[in-house]
Amino acid sequence: MSNLERAPRKSFNDLIYDLIFKNYVWQSIFRTGYPNTPRNQMLAVATNVFLHLHPTRIHRTHVKITHTYCLGGLSFFMFLGLTVTGVLLMFYYVPSVERAYQDIQALESNVRFGQLLRNMHRWMAHAMIILVLLHMMRVFYTGAYKPPREFNWVVGVVLFILTLLLSFTGYLLPWDQLAFWAITVGTTMVGSAPVLGDESKFLLLGGFSVGPNALIRFYTLHVIGLPLVISIFMAVHFWRVRRDGGLARPL
Amino acid sequence: MVSRAAAAIRTRPRREREAEVLVWPDLVFIEFISALIFSIALLVLSAMVNAPLLNRADPDTTPNPSKAPWYFLNLQELLLHMEPAWAGVIVPTIALVLLAAIPYWDRDQDGQGVWFGTKFAGRLTVFGFTAATMVTSLLIIWDGSLHVIWTENIIRGLGLNSDFSWPGGLDWFRNLRGFDTGIPWESLGFSIGGFTMFEDWRAIPLGIPGTTTDPWLLNLNFPSFLSQQLIPVATMVGLPIVFVLFCKALGWIHTRRDIALLIFSAFIGVYLTTTIVGTAFRGQGQDLKPPWDIVVLEE
Ligand code: HEM
Repeated sequence: MSNLERAPRKSFNDLIYDLIFKNYVWQSIFRTGYPNTPRNQMLAVATNVFLHLHPTRIHRTHVKITHTYCLGGLSFFMFLGLTVTGVLLMFYYVPSVERAYQDIQALESNVRFGQLLRNMHRWMAHAMIILVLLHMMRVFYTGAYKPPREFNWVVGVVLFILTLLLSFTGYLLPWDQLAFWAITVGTTMVGSAPVLGDESKFLLLGGFSVGPNALIRFYTLHVIGLPLVISIFMAVHFWRVRRDGGLARPL
Repeated sequence: MVSRAAAAIRTRPRREREAEVLVWPDLVFIEFISALIFSIALLVLSAMVNAPLLNRADPDTTPNPSKAPWYFLNLQELLLHMEPAWAGVIVPTIALVLLAAIPYWDRDQDGQGVWFGTKFAGRLTVFGFTAATMVTSLLIIWDGSLHVIWTENIIRGLGLNSDFSWPGGLDWFRNLRGFDTGIPWESLGFSIGGFTMFEDWRAIPLGIPGTTTDPWLLNLNFPSFLSQQLIPVATMVGLPIVFVLFCKALGWIHTRRDIALLIFSAFIGVYLTTTIVGTAFRGQGQDLKPPWDIVVLEE
C-alpha cells in the first residue's frame, strides 16, 4: 500500500510504522521500507549484502524443507558460529606448550561462560562435519551434481576436505592427552604415504614428532590459514549455485 | 561447437515464473527457523555435555588404545587390515578423486533435481548400503578372528569336544595374516628342470642390490605382500564390481546414474561401518571389543 492510497487520517499503527521505517536513519541503512510488499521484499533481498547471496525469487519446489533439509545452509551457519565462538576463544588461549593446557583449564574454571563457549565450539565443529556429509548425500541422491553443476560438486569435495582439516588442526590445541595422541596417530598415517610421506609429515609437524612447532603450525592453520581458504571456496560455491541456475530441477 | 557456458544455460530447465516464490519471506523464514533450532539445540547440548579435557599432554605416556579424531577412525580401521600406505593415504586419495569425478562420468540429465530419480534408485540405495555394511562387518569379524573364538566356544559349550581348538590345517583362515603365517611357504618352492623356483617366497629378488635400499623394491616378501596388499586391494576393487554385476543381473541397472547410486550407497555403508567399529568397538591393542568393555589404559 502506498501513501497516496491511504486514508487522510493516519491510524496509530501507521504512525508507528512510519516512525520506524520511514525515517531518515532507517532508510539510509536499508533503502527500502519494511518488506511487506512484493516490491519491498525483493528489494530487501537484492539490496542487502548478506541476503543477496540469494536470488529474489526461487522455484517453489526448492523451499520445500524436504528438498534440501537446509543442510548446506546449516553447514554454513555452523561455520559462522564457529568463527564467532573461535574468535572469543582466542582471547583466552595462547598456543604455546607451556600455556595451552593451562589456558583451557582456566577458561573452563575462571571465565564466565568459558566452559559453555568451549563446548559450543567443540560440538559445532562435530555438527558441521556431520552436516556437510549429510549435505553431500542430499546433493548426491537428488542428482544435483549433474551438468551444469559438475564443478560445484568438485568445489564441494574440496570444502569437505577443508572442513575435516579445520577440525583436525583444532583438535591439537587443548594440548591434553586426547589431543596429543590423536594428532600423533593422524600424522603417522600421513607419514606412511609411499611418496613424500615423511616429508609431508615433517612439513605438517615442523619436526619429527608432535611438539611446540606442531602446535604453532596447527594453531596458525586453524585460526587463519584454513578459515581464509574455506571462505574463498565457500564464496565460489555459493556463487556457482546461483550461476548454475539455482538449485537443480528436473528438465 | 557451442561454448560450455552456452551449453550450461541450455541444459537448464525453463524458468517458470508462475511457480516461483519470493525469497523474503518464504526462504528467509525457513533459514531463520532452522538456524534458531540448531542454535538452541547446540546450546542445550553444550549446557549438558562438556567437551572432553584429559590430563596434560605427555609424550611418555601412551594411552592404549590411541585413537585419531572420530572422523578419521574409518582410516585407522583400514590401517588394521592392510599396509599403512594403502590405508592412510592411497585409499582415501583414490576415494576422494573418484568422488569428485562422479559428475564427469555420469553426465546424463536423467533423475536430476528430485530425490532418487531413477526407477530402481530406492532398491539400489538400500541394497548397496545394507550389503556393504554387512560385508564390511563380516570382513572385520573375520580379520578379528572372532569366527575362531566363536567356533571354539560353541563346540566346547555344546560339550562336543571340551578342549577343541581351531584346527592347524585351517590356520590360514584365522584372519588376513593367516595367509602369511598360516601357510607353509617354506615348503612351497618347486623345481623346473633342476632349477629351483621360489626357493624363498619371503625374499623374491626384484631389484639389483646397490640400486635401492628400499626392502620392498629389493626383495618381495610375497606372503606379506599377499596378505597386506594384494588381498585387501583385490577386495576393495572386486566387491564393487561384484555388486554392480549382481544388480545388473537383477535388472536394476540401466544407466550410469544407477551404478553411481549403488556404489555411492555402498561407500556410505563402508564409511559408516568402519567409523563406528573404529570408534566404539576397538579396545586395547585395537582388539575388537563391545563398547562397554573398552577402557583406556595409560602406559
Ligand atoms: C563447508 C561445506 C559446504 C557448505 C557450507 C555448502 C553450502 C551449500 C549451500 C548453502 C547450498 C545451497 C543448497 C542447499 O542448501 O542444499 C549448496 C548447494 C550445493 N552443494 Fe554445497 N556446501 C558444502 C559442501 C558441499 C559438498 C561436500 C558437496 C559435494 C561433494 C557440495 C555440493 C553442492 C552442490 C552440487 C550444490 C548444488 C545443489 C543443487 O543444485 O541442488 N557442497 N551448498
